[in-house]
Amino acid sequence: MKIIVDNTPIECKEGELLINVLLNNGVEIPHFCYHQDLGADGNCRMCMVEIKGQKRPQVACDTFVCENLEVFTKTKSINEVKRSILELELLNHPVDCPICDQAGECKLQDYYMDFGLYNSHLTTPKTKKGKAIDLGSNVMLDQERCVLCTRCVRFTTNITKTNELGIIGRGDSSRVAVAPNRPLNNPYAMNVVELCPVGALTSKDFRFAQRVWFLDSVKSVCHGCSRGCNIHIDYNETKYSDEKVYRFRSRRNKQINQSFLCDYGRLSYRELNEKFNSTSWGMESFKELLRAEKKVALVSPSFSLQQLQAVKEFCKNYNIELFSLPYADESFGDDWLKTNDTSANFTGVKELNISTCQDKFNSFLESSELVVNFDHNLLKVKELENKKVISFTTSKIEIKCEAVFAIANFAHESGTIINCDGIRQDFYATKYRCEAPRLIELLEELQ
Amino acid sequence: MQTKIVSKNFEIPHAETLAVALQNGRYASLEKLFTFTPQELIDIIKASGLRGKGGGGAPAGAKWQLVSDFEGKKYLVVNADESEPGTFKDRQILAKDPHLLIEGMICTCYAIGSNTSYVYVRGEYEEFSNILQVAIDEAYEKNLLGIDAKYPVEITIHRGAGAYICGEKSALLESLEGNRGHPRLKPKSPEPEFYFGEPTLVNNVETIASVPFIVENGAEAYTACGTDCSPGTLLFAISGHVEKPGVYEAQFGVGMWDYIQELGGGVKGGKKLKAVIPGGASTPILPAHLVYEARLDYESLKTIGSALGTGGMIVLDEDASMVKALKNLLRFYHHESCGQCTPCREGTSWVDKTLDKFIAKTATHEDLEILKSVSKSMNGKTICVFAPAASGVIEGFLKHFESEFLECIQ
Repeated sequence: MKIIVDNTPIECKEGELLINVLLNNGVEIPHFCYHQDLGADGNCRMCMVEIKGQKRPQVACDTFVCENLEVFTKTKSINEVKRSILELELLNHPVDCPICDQAGECKLQDYYMDFGLYNSHLTTPKTKKGKAIDLGSNVMLDQERCVLCTRCVRFTTNITKTNELGIIGRGDSSRVAVAPNRPLNNPYAMNVVELCPVGALTSKDFRFAQRVWFLDSVKSVCHGCSRGCNIHIDYNETKYSDEKVYRFRSRRNKQINQSFLCDYGRLSYRELNEKFNSTSWGMESFKELLRAEKKVALVSPSFSLQQLQAVKEFCKNYNIELFSLPYADESFGDDWLKTNDTSANFTGVKELNISTCQDKFNSFLESSELVVNFDHNLLKVKELENKKVISFTTSKIEIKCEAVFAIANFAHESGTIINCDGIRQDFYATKYRCEAPRLIELLEELQ
Repeated sequence: MQTKIVSKNFEIPHAETLAVALQNGRYASLEKLFTFTPQELIDIIKASGLRGKGGGGAPAGAKWQLVSDFEGKKYLVVNADESEPGTFKDRQILAKDPHLLIEGMICTCYAIGSNTSYVYVRGEYEEFSNILQVAIDEAYEKNLLGIDAKYPVEITIHRGAGAYICGEKSALLESLEGNRGHPRLKPKSPEPEFYFGEPTLVNNVETIASVPFIVENGAEAYTACGTDCSPGTLLFAISGHVEKPGVYEAQFGVGMWDYIQELGGGVKGGKKLKAVIPGGASTPILPAHLVYEARLDYESLKTIGSALGTGGMIVLDEDASMVKALKNLLRFYHHESCGQCTPCREGTSWVDKTLDKFIAKTATHEDLEILKSVSKSMNGKTICVFAPAASGVIEGFLKHFESEFLECIQ
């Protein structure tokens, strides 16, 4: 079935929501309250379109497509309608963009530049509301910047079903709020910051840390658990500071995480910024170590398929028994995104036929003189007696090792992982080169 | 000039008690009711041309049919959230003849096939809600209601919490379900309202109270009153600068000025008429010269740029300040906007605040432009008709009395 949007035919399914069709086909349609994963609410009235045969402009989030529907999104009259509604959205807004963290990715700014560009007509005082309200769970609220799209309220009502957020007051004194002594408190709370189309909800973790236009972004996959939620890694490097990752943002994947992330995963970016020292080793002494008779290696189940393959070949060449053990945590998972397997690629480990037998590993470990640890958490904290340990690691090692090779983490080495549902996903490295070498290149060197 | 159909028993002392009500013909229609099938009853209502009396004036029969066509559980909700400024008719029924409402509800439930009904009473109507509750209790005792009745109907009173918007039927149902009273998105094709997912008929108190007369006397008796398109009567209310403010039932189509003169006792103190807000605050104001030719029915008021609304007339005499009158109304809209859609939430507060400058006589031409442009922005872009009503009010005042606003400009 076809509809006609601005004189261009668009293919779609009967009964689909018009705004969804427009968004899926890259037609720009301003909106605040509609969100592809929260559904329509119809309160912002921003997605007005002209429909042939209809006297009044209609909201695209409450229009279902039918055969030969003719839609206009950019006519002079509809732009005038959108401008008048934007003016009302912005009416009592403090316009404090210079100190607002949302600046640069704020829908109000975008739309103002698209079809606003008017001078303020307000001749009366602005409505005052609450500022810098700590809602809990790293979320800060500025009620004056809020456009009351209720995305955050609908998230806590319909998705987490924890109902912490609500609207109180009526008319122009309506505002988002939590009940006294009932702060925002759920493992997905920080999603509301990302859902907020304006600067009303900001993250305590990211507030005042960086202007968003100075950030680069790369498509990646969260390594916090086996769900493999799709993310953007936002990072930069300045003249005076090394590369730093500032935040993870969700990247929409309808199959896996829609537009959401858990707070644990969202904040796991911090690990990527950790600095630690590695020991420098000559090639000869390294090879000397590898001459040991009995050797066992343990590889992290969060390594990418490419890394696992390289490790597998390396171990084969040096005749090292290779194992991988899962990161199981029964208290971590829930019935939504979080899984009990806190490794990113255990499915991949199994696919590459790397042995995962705990007993077998234990017996090999006992008889081995040399242990090679490929970034597995178990051997970062567990002291081994009478054994030499070589560690390839992305984070600080607590135990004594013969050699520690720092390697690039997943923000610096592209790869592929397979999530708990068998979905294969690629992730990419940031554009700056990390001090530590990439594992695959390092292993090639060490061959 | 008065035609008493709904208000027949209003003058009778203690008509709110079941004993007196029964002596005066209440529940008489029930005997005839069960000689009809539900569908026959709906056809009678359709033939009577009964229109919703809460302000919209939509044909009641068609609405009943929509609900009746559904199988399974159905609800009747009576809208007694009468909050429109200048409107105080439903409270008369609740206070003076609650058994008429109960009788109407039994008839309506029978017609649409519902056994459960609610009366959503305005929060401030505590007194009337109590009277109705006593009447309902009496009716249960006499097995007119409840499972032992000939046709079982349960009635529960739910009191609102003081929000005007809960008089809008979908907001009313949201409130009844325990949510915030926010209007719902309107369906694209005709369908009934839904209460907890079940089809529901929402009708105004007076609409339901008109049903027993039609059941008892037939559709012709009802269409004999009023005009072709607006048959029957309405409990017109009159307030403001008149000698005898009150609620007087009259046929549709009577002259507005005749009504004010005869039933309202004319403009107070013998002053000249300046304007009338014809049907509750939300209808555009009519200046005197239009009042003289206006007739009280839906169609004729529409042709002169206003609406009948709830039929609650507010009369303003020659000394009334139109700027202050508009300020009074806009303060109401500002206070009562539910805050759901942007144009209404921001628009109503903006125009209200802007009008303060006119009251203080510090307004500029730009402020007048703001009133005009914001009222345009509020019209036709929101979920419910609250903002368009506010917009119509502003436009009405500016259209007929712009000079008074210009006088307030520095």
